[in-house]
Amino acid sequence: MELANTLSQDGESRGGVLAHLERLETQVSRSRKKMEEPQSAQAEESALGTRIHELRRLRDKLRAEVKQHQASVKASTTNVEPDQTLEITEQESLKRKWENVKAILQAYRFTGISGKLTSRGVCVCISTAFEGNLLDSYFVDLVMRKPLQIHHHSIPVFIPLEEISAKYLQTNIQHFLFTLCEYLNAYSGRKYQADRLQSDFEAFLAGPLQRNSLCNLLSFTYKAEPEGQSFPFCARLLYKDLTTTLPTDVTVTYQGTDALSTTQEEQRAAHENLFFTKPLHQVFTSFARKGDKLDMSLVS
Amino acid sequence: MDSQLVEARALEAEITALRRACVEPPAPGEDTSRVRKSFRETYQADSEGWELSKDLRSHLGHLESEIQFLSTLTGISIRHYSKKTEDLTSTEMTEKSIKKVLQRHRLSGNCHMITFQLEFQLLEIQNEESLSSVITDLSIIMEPTEYSELSEFVSRAEERRDLFMFFRSLHFFVEWCEYRKRTFKRFKGLSLTTPLPPTPSTNLAHYMTVIHSWTLAALPSQNPHYEKYPEAVHLSEGASSSCMGIRNPSRPGFELVIVWRIQIDEEGKVLPKLDLLTKVPLQALELDKNGVIETAPLSFRTLLGVLGIEATLESLIKSLHTERVMVFRQSRPARTGNRRLPSPPP
Repeated sequence: MELANTLSQDGESRGGVLAHLERLETQVSRSRKKMEEPQSAQAEESALGTRIHELRRLRDKLRAEVKQHQASVKASTTNVEPDQTLEITEQESLKRKWENVKAILQAYRFTGISGKLTSRGVCVCISTAFEGNLLDSYFVDLVMRKPLQIHHHSIPVFIPLEEISAKYLQTNIQHFLFTLCEYLNAYSGRKYQADRLQSDFEAFLAGPLQRNSLCNLLSFTYKAEPEGQSFPFCARLLYKDLTTTLPTDVTVTYQGTDALSTTQEEQRAAHENLFFTKPLHQVFTSFARKGDKLDMSLVS
Repeated sequence: MDSQLVEARALEAEITALRRACVEPPAPGEDTSRVRKSFRETYQADSEGWELSKDLRSHLGHLESEIQFLSTLTGISIRHYSKKTEDLTSTEMTEKSIKKVLQRHRLSGNCHMITFQLEFQLLEIQNEESLSSVITDLSIIMEPTEYSELSEFVSRAEERRDLFMFFRSLHFFVEWCEYRKRTFKRFKGLSLTTPLPPTPSTNLAHYMTVIHSWTLAALPSQNPHYEKYPEAVHLSEGASSSCMGIRNPSRPGFELVIVWRIQIDEEGKVLPKLDLLTKVPLQALELDKNGVIETAPLSFRTLLGVLGIEATLESLIKSLHTERVMVFRQSRPARTGNRRLPSPPP
């Protein structure tokens, strides 16, 4: 904040060091001007990020300068105690440690479970993903006293939270959290697959895909050839186990009025197998890629 | 946002101090105590330097205890973490206000006895409406452990780039391993004490002990009334291994071996799989007219489904220990048993 003043006061020239500082100064004030424009909260945050970035650069340059300077002073007078270095080093190491610890704390989000301490306990954040795609996060605000209590949460109503917490919350909190993770990730994964099918392969579907809120019962009428006119198949996918992203029951039925030919029957059976083993949108990717030729390599 | 502000303030203070150090160097031969004083003065004078240092220290302490708390809560300790960010936004994208950033993360730590090291890339694409984050590359390095079951699982997690599945399955895997070890130890009559983790110095200590007592009680219900059978139970490869042998000293040649594996399936689900192997002298086999020994492995699985793991193991030990004839019948027991654990797959 006092950046601008500090330097202009020390107007005297001190060769390379000052010239360098001035250059840096202009850079910083330029970036600050940019930041002073009216902005939304989000922009402010990113501006703060830029500012920190700038400040770090300036600090690193200065550190190098100071070190160099001290080396030269030390060379001319060997008896000078490097008190200053000590002070700075302490601050520096403290700073480094703080940065490191802060980073580790943030890294917990990659385990799928992270948390923030509250005045009453902890607010746990559960992240979900499907095959590398990071999806929604949910929170459970826990009051830390015996018995443990859930104060607030954002878990969808159709996730059997009550059942899970009755089973494990009081006896094994880790198990409780990871079980909840399992349910939420599976739900997110099923929903992701259904959404992708709906958005990316609309042309293959006759009408919208039918689903329940848990996304564990899906049904749709579809075709497997991109250029086909009719939608000969109807699929019904049931995920009995709520912690899975692959269906436990698959029924594909032929919709046509004419009798089912042998090839169509083969196709139907192959589709059933595909739905059992591959995520929904990947099955349709294979339909789109191969046209009417089914990618048999996918049937494992 | 707050932590960023703190960081910005810290940086500013440091820059100010560094500037002073640059422009007011100690003249050669100058008294060092004066230098020190002037340093302190400047520090105190212009910004809340020392104040800040104190702030930083207490903030640091707070963060450290928060980490310790999280590692108790999740059972996962992160030791090192670093991140590199690369901006991939092209000018064309900027015009459409699209942001594309590639982050490279490195993370190492452990989940109980299993250590891991992860490297992954996270691609973030932000446009006006949405932000998508995709893990584009994941590699997991684990120190070779006695748990060979993990290597296949690790390559599957890498292939699916499913970071959360990796941690989730690892947690359940470790939980089952601990349970297996405790069960084996219990039958062998070994001590079950687990050392408590170091107590943190903050008021979080209370939370921690609360959580810890919960996680210890954790695992599937352990019946304290099971007896010990130190003579009958043999853990030749140690309590952490997957095998437990049951022998009777007065009947040499007979041995039942329980092989208790912990499997991780395609979707990352962790399930125990128990098998019974029988070692029986040839003469005994000839006498076994009803094929009891032959069908024992099958009966064993049926029993598991009904009684659960611990009760099944105990009934096996007893059957050999008390010198009674094994009474396995192939008849299907009624499905009314108390199923505490997921029964192993058929």
